[in-house]
Amino acid sequence: MSFFQVNNKCNGCLACVQNCPATALSYRDQGEKRKLLHNMTRCARCGNCWRVCPQDAVEFQHLLSGGWDDVATMDLLRCVVCGEPLYTMDFSYTLSEKLDKDVENLCPLHRKTRAMDTWKRVSPEKTKPEEAEK
Amino acid sequence: MIVGKLKPIEEIVSSVSEFKNILILSCGSCVTVCLSGGDREAQALGREIIQDKYHKQDPPTIKLDTIQRQCERDLIKTFLEIPPGTDAILSTACGAGVQTLAETFEHLPVIPALNTTFLGALDEPGVWREKCQGCGDCVLTQTAGICPVSRCAKRIFNGPCGGSSRGKCEIDSEVDCAWQLIIDRLKTLGRLDDYEKISPPKDWSSDRSGGPRKTERAANDYFR
Repeated sequence: MSFFQVNNKCNGCLACVQNCPATALSYRDQGEKRKLLHNMTRCARCGNCWRVCPQDAVEFQHLLSGGWDDVATMDLLRCVVCGEPLYTMDFSYTLSEKLDKDVENLCPLHRKTRAMDTWKRVSPEKTKPEEAEK
Repeated sequence: MIVGKLKPIEEIVSSVSEFKNILILSCGSCVTVCLSGGDREAQALGREIIQDKYHKQDPPTIKLDTIQRQCERDLIKTFLEIPPGTDAILSTACGAGVQTLAETFEHLPVIPALNTTFLGALDEPGVWREKCQGCGDCVLTQTAGICPVSRCAKRIFNGPCGGSSRGKCEIDSEVDCAWQLIIDRLKTLGRLDDYEKISPPKDWSSDRSGGPRKTERAANDYFR
């Protein structure tokens, strides 16, 4: 759907095309039809089309507050402990390749906790039972 | 583009201290691109302003909105909705945007959150440098596309001066000497002979010295 929209008052007079400073509007006469064209990559959203339209046909609000377009959808990885979203599967592959090791899916909090657990497991206190008994 | 910089937070808080319901209005054009007054910066400003440390009494209530271009009065008038109960607008637009708001909403105080700093360009990610002072009489044809008005500290037209050393300006060793840049570019263009032409004194009447400037133009009226 185009962000540039006109309502049914548009009569194809081309005032908007002639007055667009960014040449973002054009038209095509083909057979029995006139088609109004808009190019979003050229549009400066200056509002001149809306300003000059003698029919009040330009629905400029769609160029000011449009919705979000889906761009890409990827598999998401979550923290294996708490389920917090982390990054995509593809990002994880890229990271593993660059680090040359598998990346464990842990959020910052549980990565820290996991490190502490490991430390407790292998710390000198734990490895010297005679000292722990004192 | 117009480049701005957020004012110190203490100054902003002080300027809105008497208001309870504030609309922070960002602008979606230049100041968004130069990372100073767009939607992100307005959100961050909103979060900061309500911190208790800035207020002896209750912090104000903040609402946020962005409009694509704050400097176009008819667009603002038609498409901007001021939330009921708003007692001040804190604008993160440039000075032109702030004044357009003030003219449009004449009974509402409009407060600038930004210092409008210069007309510049993005030289590298996150770095904008001044490139134009809007003098109204562009000399870039004679100076190999490098502006001595905005980029030479002395605004001289027959440079460099004696303060140029190893391509840098005496005011700061990180600032390029505009005239060194001009000469280097003239060499690249094979137009070093142009450097021998003496520039006459510039007519500054098209600059600010002529008072506030105005342009009138209808679409498609060039070359008719």
